[in-house]
Amino acid sequence: MLARLTAKSAGIDGLAIAEYPGPVGIHDADAIARNVATQLIAKIVAGLTQSSEYDDRLAGPRARDQREIVFTGTPDAVTQFFHAREWTDRLPIVAPTIERVEAYVAHSSRLADEEIAVLPSANLRATPWNIAVNAVMAGCLPVHMPLLIAAVQALGDERCSLNNIGSSSGIFPYVLINGPIVNELGIESGAQLVSRGPNPAIGRALGLIVRNIAGFRPGASYMGTFGYPLAIALAEDEKSSPWPPFHTDQGFSRGANTVTIGVTNNWGASPAPYDTADKTGAQTALELLCREITKKTRLFNFPGRGPDAEEVMITLLLSPPVAKSLADAGYSKQDVRQYIYENTRMPLRDFEWVLKYTAILRTTLRERVEAGVFPDEFLGAPDDLVRVLSSPDILHIVVCGDPHRNRVMVMEGGHTRPTTKQIALPANWHDLLISARNDSAR
Amino acid sequence: MEKMNVVSPLGLDVVATSGRAKRIGDLNGKTIGEVWNGVFKGDVTFPIIRKMLQDRYPALKIVPYTAFPHSPGSDNPTQQRERARQIAALAKQQGCDALISGNGA
Repeated sequence: MLARLTAKSAGIDGLAIAEYPGPVGIHDADAIARNVATQLIAKIVAGLTQSSEYDDRLAGPRARDQREIVFTGTPDAVTQFFHAREWTDRLPIVAPTIERVEAYVAHSSRLADEEIAVLPSANLRATPWNIAVNAVMAGCLPVHMPLLIAAVQALGDERCSLNNIGSSSGIFPYVLINGPIVNELGIESGAQLVSRGPNPAIGRALGLIVRNIAGFRPGASYMGTFGYPLAIALAEDEKSSPWPPFHTDQGFSRGANTVTIGVTNNWGASPAPYDTADKTGAQTALELLCREITKKTRLFNFPGRGPDAEEVMITLLLSPPVAKSLADAGYSKQDVRQYIYENTRMPLRDFEWVLKYTAILRTTLRERVEAGVFPDEFLGAPDDLVRVLSSPDILHIVVCGDPHRNRVMVMEGGHTRPTTKQIALPANWHDLLISARNDSAR
Repeated sequence: MEKMNVVSPLGLDVVATSGRAKRIGDLNGKTIGEVWNGVFKGDVTFPIIRKMLQDRYPALKIVPYTAFPHSPGSDNPTQQRERARQIAALAKQQGCDALISGNGA
Protein backbone atom coordinates (compact mmCIF):
# COMPACT_ATOMS: atom_id res chain seq x y z
CA MET A 1 0.00 0.00 0.00
CA LEU A 2 2.74 2.47 0.99
CA ALA A 3 4.71 1.83 -2.21
CA ARG A 4 1.58 2.12 -4.34
CA LEU A 5 0.54 5.41 -2.71
CA THR A 6 4.04 6.84 -2.91
CA ALA A 7 4.31 5.97 -6.60
CA LYS A 8 0.92 7.46 -7.34
CA SER A 9 1.83 10.67 -5.50
CA ALA A 10 4.91 10.87 -7.71
CA GLY A 11 2.82 10.37 -10.85
CA ILE A 12 2.95 6.60 -11.50
CA ASP A 13 -0.39 4.88 -11.23
CA GLY A 14 -0.59 1.11 -10.75
CA LEU A 15 3.05 0.41 -9.88
CA ALA A 16 3.70 -3.35 -10.06
CA ILE A 17 4.38 -4.54 -6.52
CA ALA A 18 5.46 -7.87 -5.06
CA GLU A 19 5.05 -7.75 -1.31
CA TYR A 20 7.18 -9.91 0.99
CA PRO A 21 5.00 -11.46 3.70
CA GLY A 22 5.86 -10.15 7.18
CA PRO A 23 8.98 -8.65 8.74
CA VAL A 24 11.98 -9.87 6.75
CA GLY A 25 14.30 -8.55 9.48
CA ILE A 26 13.43 -11.31 11.95
CA HIS A 27 13.22 -14.16 9.41
CA ASP A 28 16.17 -16.51 8.96
CA ALA A 29 17.65 -17.32 5.55
CA ASP A 30 15.57 -20.51 5.08
CA ALA A 31 12.30 -18.73 5.85
CA ILE A 32 13.23 -15.92 3.48
CA ALA A 33 14.01 -18.37 0.65
CA ARG A 34 10.73 -20.20 1.28
CA ASN A 35 8.71 -16.98 1.27
CA VAL A 36 10.40 -15.70 -1.88
CA ALA A 37 9.69 -19.01 -3.64
CA THR A 38 6.08 -19.35 -2.56
CA GLN A 39 4.83 -15.78 -2.37
CA LEU A 40 7.14 -13.40 -4.16
CA ILE A 41 8.67 -14.78 -7.33
CA ALA A 42 5.42 -15.30 -9.27
CA LYS A 43 4.35 -11.72 -8.48
CA ILE A 44 7.73 -10.37 -9.62
CA VAL A 45 7.46 -12.23 -12.91
CA ALA A 46 3.86 -11.06 -13.37
CA GLY A 47 4.85 -7.48 -12.60
CA LEU A 48 7.55 -7.58 -15.25
CA THR A 49 5.61 -9.36 -17.96
CA GLN A 50 1.83 -8.95 -17.65
CA SER A 51 -0.10 -5.94 -18.92
CA SER A 52 -2.74 -4.36 -16.75
CA GLU A 53 -5.43 -1.71 -16.82
CA TYR A 54 -2.79 0.81 -15.73
CA ASP A 55 -0.56 0.47 -18.79
CA ASP A 56 -0.07 3.72 -20.70
CA ARG A 57 -2.96 5.39 -18.84
CA LEU A 58 -2.58 9.15 -18.53
CA ALA A 59 -4.59 11.33 -16.18
CA GLY A 60 -4.36 14.98 -15.23
CA PRO A 61 -4.83 16.23 -11.68
CA ARG A 62 -8.46 15.93 -10.56
CA ALA A 63 -10.07 19.33 -10.24
CA ARG A 64 -12.25 19.80 -7.17
CA ASP A 65 -14.27 22.74 -5.92
CA GLN A 66 -13.11 23.34 -2.36
CA ARG A 67 -16.53 24.71 -1.45
CA GLU A 68 -18.33 21.56 -2.57
CA ILE A 69 -20.65 20.24 0.15
CA VAL A 70 -19.53 16.67 0.80
CA PHE A 71 -22.13 15.79 3.44
CA THR A 72 -25.21 17.13 5.18
CA GLY A 73 -26.14 15.88 8.62
CA THR A 74 -26.21 16.38 12.37
CA PRO A 75 -22.89 17.07 14.16
CA ASP A 76 -22.71 13.40 15.24
CA ALA A 77 -23.41 12.23 11.70
CA VAL A 78 -20.75 14.57 10.35
CA THR A 79 -18.19 13.08 12.73
CA GLN A 80 -19.20 9.56 11.68
CA PHE A 81 -18.98 10.50 8.00
CA PHE A 82 -15.48 11.92 8.50
CA HIS A 83 -14.40 8.92 10.62
CA ALA A 84 -15.51 6.54 7.86
CA ARG A 85 -13.28 8.33 5.35
CA GLU A 86 -10.34 8.41 7.77
CA TRP A 87 -10.34 12.20 7.74
CA THR A 88 -10.17 12.36 11.57
CA ASP A 89 -7.93 11.20 14.38
CA ARG A 90 -10.97 9.24 15.65
CA LEU A 91 -11.94 11.98 18.08
CA PRO A 92 -15.14 13.98 17.54
CA ILE A 93 -14.70 17.02 15.31
CA VAL A 94 -16.21 20.46 14.97
CA ALA A 95 -18.24 20.41 11.74
CA PRO A 96 -16.44 22.39 9.00
CA THR A 97 -19.32 24.38 7.55
CA ILE A 98 -18.75 26.92 4.81
CA GLU A 99 -19.56 29.78 7.19
CA ARG A 100 -17.01 28.62 9.76
CA VAL A 101 -14.32 27.98 7.18
CA GLU A 102 -14.86 31.40 5.59
CA ALA A 103 -14.46 33.07 8.98
CA TYR A 104 -11.14 31.28 9.53
CA VAL A 105 -9.86 32.11 6.04
CA ALA A 106 -10.69 35.78 6.71
CA HIS A 107 -8.15 35.70 9.56
CA SER A 108 -5.38 34.70 7.18
CA SER A 109 -5.42 37.79 4.93
CA ARG A 110 -5.00 35.46 1.98
CA LEU A 111 -7.16 34.24 -0.85
CA ALA A 112 -8.98 31.01 -0.06
CA ASP A 113 -7.43 29.08 -2.95
CA GLU A 114 -3.92 30.52 -2.78
CA GLU A 115 -1.23 27.85 -2.84
CA ILE A 116 0.57 27.77 0.52
CA ALA A 117 2.57 24.61 -0.15
CA VAL A 118 2.46 21.22 -1.84
CA LEU A 119 2.89 18.68 0.92
CA PRO A 120 4.55 15.31 0.55
CA SER A 121 3.99 12.38 0.67
CA ALA A 122 0.63 12.70 -1.12
CA ASN A 123 1.82 15.83 -2.95
CA LEU A 124 -1.46 17.63 -2.38
CA ARG A 125 -1.89 21.40 -2.47
CA ALA A 126 -2.47 23.20 0.81
CA THR A 127 -4.57 26.36 0.65
CA PRO A 128 -5.92 28.72 3.31
CA TRP A 129 -9.26 26.99 2.70
CA ASN A 130 -8.25 23.41 3.44
CA ILE A 131 -5.95 24.53 6.27
CA ALA A 132 -8.97 26.30 7.75
CA VAL A 133 -11.15 23.19 7.38
CA ASN A 134 -8.67 21.17 9.44
CA ALA A 135 -8.33 24.02 11.97
CA VAL A 136 -12.11 24.11 12.44
CA MET A 137 -12.25 20.34 12.84
CA ALA A 138 -9.49 20.42 15.48
CA GLY A 139 -11.19 23.05 17.62
CA CYS A 140 -8.74 25.86 16.89
CA LEU A 141 -9.80 29.50 16.89
CA PRO A 142 -9.81 31.69 13.76
CA VAL A 143 -6.88 33.71 15.18
CA HIS A 144 -4.72 30.58 15.01
CA MET A 145 -4.80 30.69 11.22
CA PRO A 146 -1.63 32.77 10.66
CA LEU A 147 0.47 30.38 12.72
CA LEU A 148 -1.07 27.32 11.04
CA ILE A 149 -0.31 28.77 7.63
CA ALA A 150 3.32 29.32 8.65
CA ALA A 151 3.39 25.75 9.99
CA VAL A 152 2.22 24.44 6.61
CA GLN A 153 4.89 26.51 4.86
CA ALA A 154 7.43 24.80 7.11
CA LEU A 155 5.96 21.34 6.40
CA GLY A 156 6.30 22.01 2.66
CA ASP A 157 9.89 23.24 2.83
CA GLU A 158 12.38 20.72 1.41
CA ARG A 159 14.54 21.24 4.49
CA CYS A 160 11.73 19.67 6.50
CA SER A 161 11.79 16.61 4.19
CA LEU A 162 8.40 15.51 5.44
CA ASN A 163 8.31 12.74 2.85
CA ASN A 164 10.22 10.35 5.06
CA ILE A 165 8.26 10.37 8.33
CA GLY A 166 6.12 7.34 7.46
CA SER A 167 8.76 5.09 9.06
CA SER A 168 7.61 2.14 11.17
CA SER A 169 9.71 3.63 14.00
CA GLY A 170 6.80 6.01 14.64
CA ILE A 171 7.91 9.58 13.93
CA PHE A 172 5.41 12.30 14.71
CA PRO A 173 5.59 16.07 14.30
CA TYR A 174 5.58 18.86 16.82
CA VAL A 175 5.18 22.58 16.35
CA LEU A 176 7.19 25.06 18.44
CA ILE A 177 5.97 28.64 18.66
CA ASN A 178 8.18 31.60 19.51
CA GLY A 179 7.72 35.35 19.71
CA PRO A 180 5.18 37.81 21.09
CA ILE A 181 2.34 35.80 19.53
CA VAL A 182 2.75 33.21 22.30
CA ASN A 183 1.43 35.67 24.88
CA GLU A 184 -0.99 37.33 22.49
CA LEU A 185 -2.77 34.02 21.86
CA GLY A 186 -2.39 32.67 25.40
CA ILE A 187 -0.34 29.72 24.15
CA GLU A 188 1.07 27.80 27.09
CA SER A 189 4.82 27.60 27.58
CA GLY A 190 4.89 26.70 31.28
CA ALA A 191 3.65 23.84 33.44
CA GLN A 192 2.02 20.98 31.50
CA LEU A 193 2.19 23.15 28.42
CA VAL A 194 1.21 20.58 25.80
CA SER A 195 -1.97 19.76 27.70
CA ARG A 196 -3.23 23.27 28.46
CA GLY A 197 -4.62 26.36 26.79
CA PRO A 198 -4.94 26.27 23.00
CA ASN A 199 -1.92 23.98 22.64
CA PRO A 200 -3.86 20.68 22.26
CA ALA A 201 -6.09 22.13 19.53
CA ILE A 202 -3.11 23.60 17.65
CA GLY A 203 -1.25 20.28 17.88
CA ARG A 204 -4.36 18.44 16.76
CA ALA A 205 -4.76 20.74 13.76
CA LEU A 206 -1.16 20.01 12.78
CA GLY A 207 -1.89 16.29 13.00
CA LEU A 208 -5.02 16.59 10.86
CA ILE A 209 -3.14 18.64 8.25
CA VAL A 210 -0.41 15.98 8.13
CA ARG A 211 -3.16 13.38 7.65
CA ASN A 212 -5.47 15.15 5.20
CA ILE A 213 -3.17 17.38 3.16
CA ALA A 214 0.20 15.67 3.46
CA GLY A 215 -1.64 12.35 3.18
CA PHE A 216 -0.10 10.38 6.04
CA ARG A 217 -2.75 7.79 6.91
CA PRO A 218 -2.02 5.25 9.65
CA GLY A 219 -1.76 1.81 8.12
CA ALA A 220 -1.45 3.08 4.55
CA SER A 221 1.40 5.57 4.45
CA TYR A 222 2.04 6.30 8.14
CA MET A 223 3.45 3.06 9.43
CA GLY A 224 4.46 3.60 13.08
CA THR A 225 4.42 0.11 14.55
CA PHE A 226 2.53 1.15 17.67
CA GLY A 227 0.77 4.19 16.21
CA TYR A 228 1.05 7.82 17.21
CA PRO A 229 -0.02 10.15 20.00
CA LEU A 230 -1.63 13.42 18.93
CA ALA A 231 0.83 15.96 17.54
CA ILE A 232 2.31 18.32 20.11
CA ALA A 233 2.31 22.12 20.30
CA LEU A 234 5.15 23.64 22.33
CA ALA A 235 6.01 27.23 23.05
CA GLU A 236 9.20 28.53 24.56
CA ASP A 237 9.09 30.29 27.92
CA GLU A 238 11.23 33.13 26.61
CA LYS A 239 10.78 35.27 29.73
CA SER A 240 12.09 32.57 32.06
CA SER A 241 14.89 31.44 29.79
CA PRO A 242 18.36 32.74 30.62
CA TRP A 243 19.37 32.34 26.96
CA PRO A 244 18.30 33.87 23.63
CA PRO A 245 15.19 32.02 22.39
CA PHE A 246 15.16 29.11 19.97
CA HIS A 247 14.17 31.08 16.88
CA THR A 248 17.19 33.37 17.18
CA ASP A 249 19.32 30.20 16.79
CA GLN A 250 17.58 29.81 13.42
CA GLY A 251 18.49 33.33 12.31
CA PHE A 252 15.29 35.19 13.21
CA SER A 253 15.16 38.36 15.26
CA ARG A 254 14.08 38.11 18.86
CA GLY A 255 10.84 40.01 18.21
CA ALA A 256 9.79 37.83 15.26
CA ASN A 257 6.86 35.45 15.55
CA THR A 258 7.84 32.02 14.28
CA VAL A 259 6.73 28.44 14.09
CA THR A 260 9.16 25.57 13.89
CA ILE A 261 8.22 22.10 12.74
CA GLY A 262 10.22 19.33 14.31
CA VAL A 263 9.70 15.63 14.83
CA THR A 264 10.19 13.10 17.57
CA ASN A 265 9.95 9.37 18.08
CA ASN A 266 9.04 9.74 21.69
CA TRP A 267 7.30 11.72 24.36
CA GLY A 268 8.14 10.40 27.74
CA ALA A 269 10.46 10.30 30.67
CA SER A 270 11.42 13.60 32.24
CA PRO A 271 14.10 12.85 34.85
CA ALA A 272 15.21 15.43 37.40
CA PRO A 273 18.86 16.43 37.93
CA TYR A 274 19.82 17.13 41.55
CA ASP A 275 22.50 19.20 43.18
CA THR A 276 24.47 16.89 45.52
CA ALA A 277 27.52 17.03 47.76
CA ASP A 278 29.79 15.91 44.95
CA LYS A 279 28.15 17.43 41.84
CA THR A 280 26.44 20.72 41.11
CA GLY A 281 22.92 20.72 39.68
CA ALA A 282 24.33 22.02 36.40
CA GLN A 283 26.89 19.23 36.16
CA THR A 284 24.25 16.62 36.96
CA ALA A 285 21.94 18.10 34.31
CA LEU A 286 24.64 17.82 31.64
CA GLU A 287 25.50 14.25 32.58
CA LEU A 288 21.83 13.30 32.77
CA LEU A 289 21.18 14.63 29.27
CA CYS A 290 24.13 12.62 27.93
CA ARG A 291 22.85 9.47 29.61
CA GLU A 292 19.34 10.00 28.26
CA ILE A 293 20.66 10.35 24.70
CA THR A 294 22.54 7.05 24.87
CA LYS A 295 19.16 5.34 25.35
CA LYS A 296 17.96 6.54 21.94
CA THR A 297 19.34 3.63 19.98
CA ARG A 298 17.66 4.59 16.70
CA LEU A 299 20.42 7.17 16.53
CA PHE A 300 23.01 4.45 16.11
CA ASN A 301 21.44 3.07 12.95
CA PHE A 302 20.65 6.52 11.59
CA PRO A 303 23.61 8.52 12.86
CA GLY A 304 23.37 11.46 10.47
CA ARG A 305 26.91 10.94 9.27
CA GLY A 306 28.70 10.36 5.99
CA PRO A 307 28.11 11.17 2.34
CA ASP A 308 24.44 10.07 2.33
CA ALA A 309 23.69 11.24 5.85
CA GLU A 310 20.14 10.94 7.06
CA GLU A 311 18.77 13.83 9.07
CA VAL A 312 18.88 13.52 12.85
CA MET A 313 17.41 15.95 15.33
CA ILE A 314 17.41 15.85 19.10
CA THR A 315 15.22 18.32 20.96
CA LEU A 316 16.19 18.97 24.57
CA LEU A 317 13.37 20.35 26.69
CA LEU A 318 14.78 22.02 29.77
CA SER A 319 12.58 23.39 32.52
CA PRO A 320 13.51 26.99 33.41
CA PRO A 321 15.29 26.11 36.69
CA VAL A 322 17.54 23.62 34.88
CA ALA A 323 18.36 26.17 32.18
CA LYS A 324 19.07 28.78 34.86
CA SER A 325 21.40 26.45 36.75
CA LEU A 326 23.37 25.87 33.55
CA ALA A 327 23.51 29.57 32.69
CA ASP A 328 24.55 30.44 36.27
CA ALA A 329 27.38 27.92 35.91
CA GLY A 330 28.54 29.86 32.85
CA TYR A 331 27.14 27.68 30.07
CA SER A 332 25.71 29.27 26.95
CA LYS A 333 23.40 27.15 24.79
CA GLN A 334 26.30 26.46 22.45
CA ASP A 335 28.42 25.39 25.44
CA VAL A 336 25.69 22.96 26.47
CA ARG A 337 25.48 21.53 22.94
CA GLN A 338 29.26 21.20 22.75
CA TYR A 339 29.47 19.49 26.15
CA ILE A 340 26.79 16.98 25.21
CA TYR A 341 28.41 16.29 21.84
CA GLU A 342 31.78 15.61 23.47
CA ASN A 343 30.49 13.64 26.44
CA THR A 344 27.61 11.52 25.14
CA ARG A 345 29.72 8.41 24.97
CA MET A 346 29.33 4.69 25.36
CA PRO A 347 31.56 1.63 25.13
CA LEU A 348 32.16 0.69 21.52
CA ARG A 349 31.04 -2.88 22.26
CA ASP A 350 27.55 -1.63 23.31
CA PHE A 351 27.25 0.62 20.26
CA GLU A 352 28.30 -2.23 17.98
CA TRP A 353 25.77 -4.61 19.58
CA VAL A 354 22.93 -2.28 18.66
CA LEU A 355 24.27 -1.82 15.15
CA LYS A 356 24.71 -5.56 14.61
CA TYR A 357 21.51 -6.89 16.15
CA THR A 358 18.96 -4.16 15.57
CA ALA A 359 20.29 -3.01 12.24
CA ILE A 360 18.06 -2.06 9.40
CA LEU A 361 21.25 -1.29 7.45
CA ARG A 362 23.28 -4.22 6.15
CA THR A 363 26.83 -3.01 6.51
CA THR A 364 29.16 -3.65 9.44
CA LEU A 365 30.57 -0.89 11.57
CA ARG A 366 34.00 -1.45 10.00
CA GLU A 367 32.55 -1.16 6.50
CA ARG A 368 30.80 2.03 7.49
CA VAL A 369 34.02 3.48 8.90
CA GLU A 370 35.79 2.55 5.66
CA ALA A 371 33.00 4.23 3.68
CA GLY A 372 33.52 7.42 5.64
CA VAL A 373 30.25 7.20 7.57
CA PHE A 374 31.79 6.87 11.04
CA PRO A 375 35.12 8.40 12.12
CA ASP A 376 38.15 6.26 12.95
CA GLU A 377 37.43 6.28 16.69
CA PHE A 378 34.80 3.60 15.91
CA LEU A 379 37.58 1.15 15.02
CA GLY A 380 38.97 1.21 18.58
CA ALA A 381 38.95 -1.38 21.37
CA PRO A 382 35.60 -2.74 22.69
CA ASP A 383 35.88 -0.75 25.93
CA ASP A 384 36.73 2.54 24.21
CA LEU A 385 34.14 5.21 24.88
CA VAL A 386 33.03 6.53 21.50
CA ARG A 387 31.14 9.76 20.86
CA VAL A 388 27.59 8.86 19.87
CA LEU A 389 26.55 12.15 18.25
CA SER A 390 27.65 13.31 14.82
CA SER A 391 27.69 17.00 15.71
CA PRO A 392 26.58 19.52 18.34
CA ASP A 393 24.38 21.05 15.62
CA ILE A 394 21.79 18.26 15.82
CA LEU A 395 20.95 19.33 19.38
CA HIS A 396 18.10 21.85 19.75
CA ILE A 397 17.40 23.42 23.11
CA VAL A 398 13.96 24.68 24.14
CA VAL A 399 13.28 26.14 27.57
CA CYS A 400 9.72 25.40 28.67
CA GLY A 401 7.65 23.52 31.22
CA ASP A 402 6.94 23.93 34.90
CA PRO A 403 8.99 26.88 36.21
CA HIS A 404 9.10 25.25 39.65
CA ARG A 405 10.48 21.87 38.57
CA ASN A 406 13.99 20.73 37.72
CA ARG A 407 13.25 18.34 34.87
CA VAL A 408 14.50 17.60 31.36
CA MET A 409 13.21 15.62 28.40
CA VAL A 410 15.10 14.32 25.38
CA MET A 411 13.05 13.94 22.20
CA GLU A 412 14.86 12.06 19.46
CA GLY A 413 13.68 12.11 15.88
CA GLY A 414 14.94 12.02 12.37
CA HIS A 415 14.56 12.05 8.62
CA THR A 416 13.66 15.72 8.92
CA ARG A 417 15.33 18.73 10.44
CA PRO A 418 13.75 21.61 12.37
CA THR A 419 12.27 24.08 9.90
CA THR A 420 11.33 27.55 11.07
CA LYS A 421 9.06 30.03 9.31
CA GLN A 422 8.05 33.53 10.26
CA ILE A 423 4.35 34.04 10.92
CA ALA A 424 2.89 36.72 8.65
CA LEU A 425 0.21 38.59 10.57
CA PRO A 426 -2.71 40.34 8.89
CA ALA A 427 -2.65 44.14 8.91
CA ASN A 428 -5.66 44.17 11.27
CA TRP A 429 -4.12 41.63 13.66
CA HIS A 430 -4.70 43.67 16.81
CA ASP A 431 -8.35 44.19 15.91
CA LEU A 432 -8.69 40.45 15.35
CA LEU A 433 -7.11 39.76 18.74
CA ILE A 434 -9.45 42.18 20.50
CA SER A 435 -12.40 40.60 18.76
CA ALA A 436 -11.22 37.10 19.75
CA ARG A 437 -10.83 38.19 23.39
CA ASN A 438 -14.30 39.70 23.38
CA ASP A 439 -15.71 36.47 21.92
CA SER A 440 -14.07 34.35 24.60
CA ALA A 441 -15.32 36.69 27.35
CA ARG A 442 -18.94 36.21 26.25
CA MET B 1 -31.22 18.49 15.64
CA GLU B 2 -29.88 21.01 13.15
CA LYS B 3 -28.27 19.56 10.04
CA MET B 4 -25.03 21.01 8.77
CA ASN B 5 -23.47 21.25 5.31
CA VAL B 6 -19.79 20.44 5.51
CA VAL B 7 -16.77 20.57 3.20
CA SER B 8 -13.77 18.32 2.65
CA PRO B 9 -10.50 18.67 4.61
CA LEU B 10 -8.38 17.11 1.86
CA GLY B 11 -5.63 18.80 -0.10
CA LEU B 12 -6.01 19.41 -3.80
CA ASP B 13 -4.46 17.24 -6.51
CA VAL B 14 -1.57 18.77 -8.41
CA VAL B 15 0.19 15.75 -9.87
CA ALA B 16 -0.74 14.32 -13.26
CA THR B 17 -0.35 10.55 -13.36
CA SER B 18 0.95 8.41 -16.12
CA GLY B 19 0.31 4.69 -16.40
CA ARG B 20 2.92 1.98 -16.32
CA ALA B 21 5.45 1.49 -19.05
CA LYS B 22 4.79 -1.32 -21.51
CA ARG B 23 5.60 -4.72 -19.94
CA ILE B 24 8.46 -6.70 -21.38
CA GLY B 25 6.80 -10.05 -22.15
CA ASP B 26 9.08 -13.11 -22.19
CA LEU B 27 12.05 -12.57 -19.86
CA ASN B 28 14.42 -14.76 -21.86
CA GLY B 29 16.94 -12.58 -23.63
CA LYS B 30 16.05 -9.52 -21.56
CA THR B 31 18.17 -7.58 -19.04
CA ILE B 32 16.83 -6.76 -15.58
CA GLY B 33 18.54 -4.46 -13.06
CA GLU B 34 18.36 -4.76 -9.29
CA VAL B 35 18.06 -1.52 -7.36
CA TRP B 36 18.40 -1.72 -3.59
CA ASN B 37 18.13 1.00 -0.97
CA GLY B 38 20.54 -0.73 1.42
CA VAL B 39 18.01 -1.87 4.02
CA PHE B 40 15.68 -4.74 4.98
CA LYS B 41 18.03 -7.58 3.98
CA GLY B 42 18.01 -6.86 0.27
CA ASP B 43 21.47 -8.42 0.20
CA VAL B 44 19.74 -11.66 1.21
CA THR B 45 16.57 -11.44 -0.89
CA PHE B 46 18.05 -10.19 -4.18
CA PRO B 47 20.47 -13.15 -4.65
CA ILE B 48 17.58 -15.58 -3.96
CA ILE B 49 15.31 -13.77 -6.43
CA ARG B 50 18.15 -13.60 -8.96
CA LYS B 51 18.78 -17.37 -8.83
CA MET B 52 15.09 -18.24 -9.05
CA LEU B 53 14.58 -15.96 -12.05
CA GLN B 54 17.64 -17.33 -13.84
CA ASP B 55 16.58 -20.92 -13.12
CA ARG B 56 13.27 -20.15 -14.86
CA TYR B 57 14.70 -17.98 -17.63
CA PRO B 58 18.24 -19.19 -18.52
CA ALA B 59 18.73 -16.45 -21.13
CA LEU B 60 17.78 -13.66 -18.70
CA LYS B 61 20.63 -11.30 -17.81
CA ILE B 62 20.52 -9.67 -14.38
CA VAL B 63 22.59 -6.65 -13.40
CA PRO B 64 23.08 -7.03 -9.63
CA TYR B 65 22.40 -4.29 -7.12
CA THR B 66 26.13 -3.87 -6.59
CA ALA B 67 26.29 -2.24 -10.05
CA PHE B 68 24.05 0.58 -8.81
CA PRO B 69 24.33 2.96 -5.86
CA HIS B 70 22.84 1.00 -2.96
CA SER B 71 22.72 3.15 0.13
CA PRO B 72 19.51 4.40 1.73
CA GLY B 73 20.17 7.87 0.38
CA SER B 74 19.96 11.05 2.31
CA ASP B 75 16.84 12.75 3.62
CA ASN B 76 17.54 15.50 1.17
CA PRO B 77 14.84 15.46 -1.56
CA THR B 78 17.12 17.17 -4.09
CA GLN B 79 19.81 14.56 -3.49
CA GLN B 80 17.21 11.78 -3.70
CA ARG B 81 16.02 13.02 -7.10
CA GLU B 82 19.60 13.23 -8.31
CA ARG B 83 20.20 9.65 -7.11
CA ALA B 84 17.12 8.47 -9.04
CA ARG B 85 18.38 10.17 -12.21
CA GLN B 86 21.80 8.60 -11.70
CA ILE B 87 20.26 5.11 -11.34
CA ALA B 88 18.09 5.60 -14.43
CA ALA B 89 21.14 6.65 -16.47
CA LEU B 90 23.14 3.66 -15.22
CA ALA B 91 20.26 1.32 -16.04
CA LYS B 92 20.14 2.61 -19.62
CA GLN B 93 23.90 2.32 -19.90
CA GLN B 94 23.69 -1.32 -18.73
CA GLY B 95 20.97 -2.06 -21.28
CA CYS B 96 18.27 -2.80 -18.71
CA ASP B 97 14.78 -3.50 -20.04
CA ALA B 98 13.30 -3.24 -16.53
CA LEU B 99 14.26 -2.72 -12.90
CA ILE B 100 13.29 -4.53 -9.72
CA SER B 101 13.52 -2.04 -6.88
CA GLY B 102 13.41 -2.81 -3.15
CA ASN B 103 12.83 -2.66 -0.31
CA GLY B 104 10.06 -0.64 1.24
CA ALA B 105 9.10 -0.27 4.89
